[in-house]
Amino acid sequence: MAYLCCVGITPSQPVEESAVTGIDAVPESGQLPVPSSPLLKELWRESGAAVYGLEQQEFNRILESVGTAQNYGLEPGTAASRRQQAGFFRGLRLADLTLARACASGHEGAWEHFIAVYRQPLFRAAIAITGSETLGRELADQLYAELYGLSARDGVRRSPLDSYKGKGSLMGWLRTTLAQRHVDHHRRTRRELPLDNLAEGHEPPAADPKPGKLPAELLLLAKAVVETLEKIETVERFLLAAYYIDGRTLLEIAPVLHVHEATVSRKLHRLVDGIRKQIVKSLLGYGLNKRAVQEMLGADPRDLDLNLKKILQISLPDAFQEKAAL
Amino acid sequence: MNSNLQLDLHPDADSLSAFAEQALGVAEREQILAHMTRCSRCRQVIYLAQKAAQAEALEALSAMPSGRWYRSWRFAWVPAAALAAALALVFTFYPKHTAPAPEMAKAVPQSEQPALTPVPLEQASAGAALKPAPPVATNSAAAGAKFTALHQQPKELALETAPSTARPAAPGASAHPLEENNAARTHSTESVQGLAPQQATVQYKPEPSLTSVWQQQRMTGALSASAKTPQASQERMQATVDRAQAGRSVPAFAAVSHTAKQAAPAANFGIGAQEAKAGSVGSRGANPPKMPSGLAAISTATTQQRALAIDLAGALFLSEDAGQHWQPVARQWTGLAIKVRVQTGLSGAVFQLTNISGSTWVSADGKTWTVQ
Repeated sequence: MAYLCCVGITPSQPVEESAVTGIDAVPESGQLPVPSSPLLKELWRESGAAVYGLEQQEFNRILESVGTAQNYGLEPGTAASRRQQAGFFRGLRLADLTLARACASGHEGAWEHFIAVYRQPLFRAAIAITGSETLGRELADQLYAELYGLSARDGVRRSPLDSYKGKGSLMGWLRTTLAQRHVDHHRRTRRELPLDNLAEGHEPPAADPKPGKLPAELLLLAKAVVETLEKIETVERFLLAAYYIDGRTLLEIAPVLHVHEATVSRKLHRLVDGIRKQIVKSLLGYGLNKRAVQEMLGADPRDLDLNLKKILQISLPDAFQEKAAL
Repeated sequence: MNSNLQLDLHPDADSLSAFAEQALGVAEREQILAHMTRCSRCRQVIYLAQKAAQAEALEALSAMPSGRWYRSWRFAWVPAAALAAALALVFTFYPKHTAPAPEMAKAVPQSEQPALTPVPLEQASAGAALKPAPPVATNSAAAGAKFTALHQQPKELALETAPSTARPAAPGASAHPLEENNAARTHSTESVQGLAPQQATVQYKPEPSLTSVWQQQRMTGALSASAKTPQASQERMQATVDRAQAGRSVPAFAAVSHTAKQAAPAANFGIGAQEAKAGSVGSRGANPPKMPSGLAAISTATTQQRALAIDLAGALFLSEDAGQHWQPVARQWTGLAIKVRVQTGLSGAVFQLTNISGSTWVSADGKTWTVQ
């Protein structure tokens, strides 16, 4: 505002928001700024889209599709103001986005640049993910072929690069895509049992017999555990899942949460203590005395009919399913 | 979320990548995290992507040019400066502490030491406190108390300046003063034995320079002055009285008798109590007696009545008046005699003579020698 005063715009005068955001004549939320806006021109210039022959109109269309698909980074149903739209656009990796879109559209120069910059890192990432140079090169080549658009749908070549929206870096997207392919492949092949094994007498594991009726005390304990785990927050739930279900180390969990591993350790200790106290509190609330509660906490966990993995994974509302249903 | 390409309704790769790169807003991050809590597949994807990113970062670090050559040394100047300062301190203070140490005198080969004429006892004792005289000192020993002070001053100096040698010695340990002397004697003997007779005669210069003698006397005086125990004062007085009674300059070697007498029984070395050796005496700044041959004595041994000395030519002399008069002893041994000492046994004190080849002869009176 002080800057506006310096340039001669007084508060009594109506301040055009385009003077601040660079977006002039921006329509209401949900609509793209007009192509002639200085912001879009500046973004187009900064992205280097012209190098790949991407005109301003095409660039604006890409931005529109990206913005609307993610509702400018806001909650679904929330209308984005002009400032929020401008902030969203400025937060995108526009250089990577234009390169990905230019590659997806088959621009030769874009592909040359992509190969020069990302080819070797792609191989290295694949090798690091698979832990094997052979498997890594195979995985990277497979993804590379897909990126080049060898697969077609409805007669149109489609490239996974079209799904890149510029929220993260293109290299990060490539790494994540490789990891997804590797995990999906691993999960798919793990479920396949060779027929030879069946012929050799490897019977499929019998289903667990239905557990008998648990004592009332153990039922109370199971109920308290479920109630306690349902109340913990998302980050704590993630910590429990990563540490106790996945068996990840503190060093692996820390970068995901962007905290130090010592912080993860402290949080875990605090979390376990809090869960224990909450369970005790719940059991006392059920009318048990302290001695009975202590004896109950010493019960063998295998006696409880509890699937912690199931509890942690189902108890929360499925936000992405809701989002996908929109 | 790309529901078209991913049938399991997982966050798309872009969202997961942005989550890993902290590029998401709070709401979207919470959403991704909530999904990852339930979805082991997405957790696994994130872990693998992180692993690949770390591998890439390590690769980039290893491929990074090191820059100018001196940049890798930009933090090395701190320890280098500290090391230089430490070395400067060592070179500044180390000579001050080690220059007067008697161990240096021991280490110097005697053949390199300059010759010195005997220092008069009165001159040598000027300004220097006497070493405590032994309570059982004989006349000759008391008369030589001044020499005792000179003889023992390097040991005291070592006790003051070299803490490592000032540790209390364990029983039988080699830190005993007499043992130090024996070690010095052994060294001296070996240095003589290692030479041909002519070389030993020419090169043997047992006495230190006059300057070093005066320095040691001053330091001994300073050290002795600090010893203010009643016993020390009494011993100093006794030595002064003895010196006055003697009324004349006494050959320094005569004082060795009482020194060794005090030290030997405690050490239980089995060596004669009145053992002395001019080589070690000379190396410590004392005055070896001059023999009638005009040569300095290299080894002496005394009892209460007799004294024996070997000069540089290997001739043996006997004195029966505490070193006042010497008479040559007929040669009854082979080779060059280099050492004479007193060995105390059940039958009394016996002189023992050793030649350069290590053969020994014994004598009860110092005149008649038989091979051992």
